[in-house]
Amino acid sequence: MAFSRRGLMAAAGAPVLMRVADALAQGIQPRRGGILQTILTPEPPILQLGVNNQGPTLVAASKMFQSLLTFSPTLEPIPVLAKSWEVSGDGREYVFRLQDNVKFHDGTPMTADDVIFSIMRFHMELAPRARAIFQMIDSATAPDPLTVRLTLKQPFQPFLLMFEVTACCIVSKRLFDGQDFRTAPTVQRPVGTGPFRFVEWQRGNFVRLERFEEYWKPGQPYLDGIIYRIVPDSQSRRLAIETGQVQMTQANDIEPFDVPGLRQRPNLTVETKGWEYFSPLSWMEINHRVAPLGDPRVRRAMSMAIDRNFITNRLWFGVGKPATNPIASTTRFHDTAVKIAGHDVRTANQLLDAAGLRPNAQGIRATLKHIPLPYGEIWTRLSEYLRQSMRQIGIQLEMESVDAGSWARRIGNWEYETSVNFVYQYGDPTLGVERTYVSSNIQRVTFTNTGGYANPRVDELFLAARSAADATERQRAFTDAQKILVEEVPQIWLTELAFPTIHDKKLNNVITTGVGVHTSFDDVFLAG
Amino acid sequence: MDLTRLPGFLAARLAKAAVVILAIVVCNFLLIHAAPGDPASVIAGQSGAADERFLAQLREQFGLDRPLHVQLWIYLKGVLTLDLGFSHRQQLPVWTLIQARLPATLLLTGTAFVFAIVTGVTLGALAARRVGRWADSLITVIALTFYATPLFWIGLMLVLVFSVWLEWLPSFGMSSVGVELHGMAVVLDVAQHLLLPALTLGLFYLAVYARLTRATMLEVADQDFVKTARAKGVPEGRVLRAHVLRNAMLPVITFAGIQAGQLVGGAILVETVFAWPGIGRLAFDALLARDYAVLLGVFFCTSVMVVAFNLVTDLLYAVVDPRVEAVG
Amino acid sequence: MMDFWRRFRRNRGAVVGLCILVLVLLLSATASLLFPDSPWDMAAAPFMPPGEMGMLLGSDSLGRDVAAGIAHGARISLLVGAVSTAAALLIGVTLGAIAGYAGGIVDDALMRFTEFFQTIPSFVFAILLVAIFSPSIGSIVFAIAVVSWPPVARVVRAEVLSLRSREFVQAAEVLGKAPLAILLTDVLPNALSPIIVLSSLMVATAILTESALSFLGLGDPNLMTWGFLIGAGRSVIRIAWWMSVFPGLAIFLTVLALNLVGEGLSDALNPRLARRRA
Repeated sequence: MAFSRRGLMAAAGAPVLMRVADALAQGIQPRRGGILQTILTPEPPILQLGVNNQGPTLVAASKMFQSLLTFSPTLEPIPVLAKSWEVSGDGREYVFRLQDNVKFHDGTPMTADDVIFSIMRFHMELAPRARAIFQMIDSATAPDPLTVRLTLKQPFQPFLLMFEVTACCIVSKRLFDGQDFRTAPTVQRPVGTGPFRFVEWQRGNFVRLERFEEYWKPGQPYLDGIIYRIVPDSQSRRLAIETGQVQMTQANDIEPFDVPGLRQRPNLTVETKGWEYFSPLSWMEINHRVAPLGDPRVRRAMSMAIDRNFITNRLWFGVGKPATNPIASTTRFHDTAVKIAGHDVRTANQLLDAAGLRPNAQGIRATLKHIPLPYGEIWTRLSEYLRQSMRQIGIQLEMESVDAGSWARRIGNWEYETSVNFVYQYGDPTLGVERTYVSSNIQRVTFTNTGGYANPRVDELFLAARSAADATERQRAFTDAQKILVEEVPQIWLTELAFPTIHDKKLNNVITTGVGVHTSFDDVFLAG
Repeated sequence: MDLTRLPGFLAARLAKAAVVILAIVVCNFLLIHAAPGDPASVIAGQSGAADERFLAQLREQFGLDRPLHVQLWIYLKGVLTLDLGFSHRQQLPVWTLIQARLPATLLLTGTAFVFAIVTGVTLGALAARRVGRWADSLITVIALTFYATPLFWIGLMLVLVFSVWLEWLPSFGMSSVGVELHGMAVVLDVAQHLLLPALTLGLFYLAVYARLTRATMLEVADQDFVKTARAKGVPEGRVLRAHVLRNAMLPVITFAGIQAGQLVGGAILVETVFAWPGIGRLAFDALLARDYAVLLGVFFCTSVMVVAFNLVTDLLYAVVDPRVEAVG
Repeated sequence: MMDFWRRFRRNRGAVVGLCILVLVLLLSATASLLFPDSPWDMAAAPFMPPGEMGMLLGSDSLGRDVAAGIAHGARISLLVGAVSTAAALLIGVTLGAIAGYAGGIVDDALMRFTEFFQTIPSFVFAILLVAIFSPSIGSIVFAIAVVSWPPVARVVRAEVLSLRSREFVQAAEVLGKAPLAILLTDVLPNALSPIIVLSSLMVATAILTESALSFLGLGDPNLMTWGFLIGAGRSVIRIAWWMSVFPGLAIFLTVLALNLVGEGLSDALNPRLARRRA
């Protein structure tokens, strides 16, 4: 056989399982029963993954859907619907062996056909992120009903990272084939293989999931059901977890300034782990087409005017940490040795003088427009902080507030001067970092290289890292790219975001992997 | 009013109401489409990744690639057949979405409205009767206090007191989820959830009605026909009820007609604070997500309700004040 | 005039209201003297309770001085209230009076127009307008004015309508007085007290509406207003009560003062009532 046995859990192997096992509650016997009440913010429009991939959809739908793998906090693969997998020596062929006895919620068995349909048709059609990667698949075949063989056109090292539920959930071919995927009836009543099945969704009120009796792991899940309540106001959400009306909050449910108060509660646990796969990095979004932002000295000066410790400590109350370079420290290939210049207002002013940007009589060097990110209060506060920081170096930011609709359009159409943005990195710089800096991705769409940064050397390095099959080779390219980027500061990175997961201490096994609250919750239980 | 003229009057009013509603639909349609951003860009922005093809696909599917007047014509044709369109964002007919949320808002605003008008008019009348005395001052101060305090602030305070400190009432939602309830228990459960939001919404309008009733009653009380009644020796209580209050009701009724629409606005705030699953919140979320069809649908429904309500107040007008003719 | 002032003075509440209002106006006039630094400056540690670190009314989540914010905010909040109400009154009284007096087709057309604006839920409409024109002080004032004139028109029309069939108006008509003259000299002055009561309420409503818009994230991000302060303080109410209590109090007192003054005016303008009160 032409396969190196790198797959088969040998590479990812035993240490990972240990790490996951460590995270699992030990010494407490899992208990069957109980309904988990939690919160979903904001209310998702649709719960079918693929048709909608917004944050809240991912949280709730990941209980109903599963993918082949999930990932540990250090981004090693963990089997889910794939029992084991093998990667060929040339890095082009992936063979997945599926779990037996996996059933969809409608009772039909899940087979290799469903997996291939999900990858090659469903996500290829619906999800831009999946499409970009799955286009590299040359052929997808099923040698037998429980084996899937994918052959790539070229080696692509981060390929496995795509088989996480938030990127590629497995859907039932029977329910989608031959229909418009977006309007198929099942979109309103999602059917997956997960431990919980969809029961009811009263819009504006709650989503109710129930234990799936034919779930493929015997005896699991432990919970009888999960109820996601829709609570639009942040103070009501805080009250809900405080008064015990819900047992868990996640993602954006709780504003950072409420976290210290909740940490004090003896019955609650606050965790900030479980976002390693996503590793969201926030930055001050810069449009290079607007003078003087095209000048790297100006961007570096702006970066130096910002006190990132103030942002993490005073605004985010210690949830998350200051960004040090374009690749988050929890993403692969982050180089700890490469760091952006620290907070130094005096040097920043000198840099601007050197760049020929002189202050006028009022001490103003330049006036720029700024669009705060319309995703809640904390982002408004951040922009207010940025405005005051920029004042110190004579740059005046004029705020223009817009709603989410306008924000996406303005950024996407390059109709902005400065803004704030945060972007998921999906574990690997090729998947989640490259897109912001390579000139081939300068597009009129959000989350591309909207700033318009172009450096042929950076393009080359990202391309080299993309096609290299070898990790050390990739590391070299990424390190070089990081070195150039921290000098040129194409975007002014602010913080590595984390979101608090707050739950009742009776709730066990909540955060065990690098995707945190996006796991299936089949091993979560309420202790008596 | 001559009852035989009622059908004609009604028909004329209904025709006019239809014109108003049509104008509102067209105006809102144009306004909403003039807003920057479209649903496709919002979905793209929130999905964390997108490309041109994805956007083009969405726009084509939503019909956003067609000229505006064609989109308007399609929408109008739909409205005429009572088809409010389809929310591509939620993949559901707009009517289904509104239908699911409307009862909650009707319950909330209805309760708040009845509470506000009954208590408000009573307090206002009481104050007018005891004008200048301590009861008047007390009522005025109470009304002013509620009037001058921001709505959501009252809501938050009520939650703090009744949910957090006393733990008497739930702080959000419309019913307990995850527990099996039947019969009276369901009603009681909803009533418990309803109390704080309805009170919050009602207190503000209570203040408005109390002040308005008091002001107009004092006005009317000094008019000639009241004096005549007094001079004829009609007992004071009867003068107040039959002459003063009845005439003082005119501005109050006018105002009540307006409230029907405004309550929905107040409902956005209250529904936000109390996570009440109504259409106010639906409209606000739809606006932020540029879910045009839903937003237009909510506007349409509330407009119809307000028009109907105004029709009723017009009829009441004619009944209360015999001098006003219900001219077509 | 002296007579008017004497009658106004007799209403103690109104005098108190006037005093508060004068104080608020003084505060907004002297804000730059009392707090020379920008209210956006991070002058202290975040969440300092009142009295600490020289923060008279405490500091907010970025360490900004709440007292400075209130002083500077008074200007904008009052401006929003006054300008939008003036605009709304101008539209509302004109249309209402014309509709009520002219009757017939004119009344009909104007009332359809009013109905058109009234039928759209006003706060929702304001949100829509502000969202479309993007949140700024101009769009906020415009939106508030556009949505708040219909009640004025309705009330004025109702008053005019009921006054029209009164004896003294009919007498003036019989005597051949011009309609505009009758409207201005006989009808409107008699309809004034509800207009005044309503307009004092409207300035207050405008201030409250601005705060509600801010609360939903639709305030002008470059201007310090009371609405902004409450909006920012609302979500940290459990940690820093002073952030929403003091601006809330400022709104409350101003709205209260406006109402009391309105009432005093109403008494003073309507001597018959004032006599009864005495």
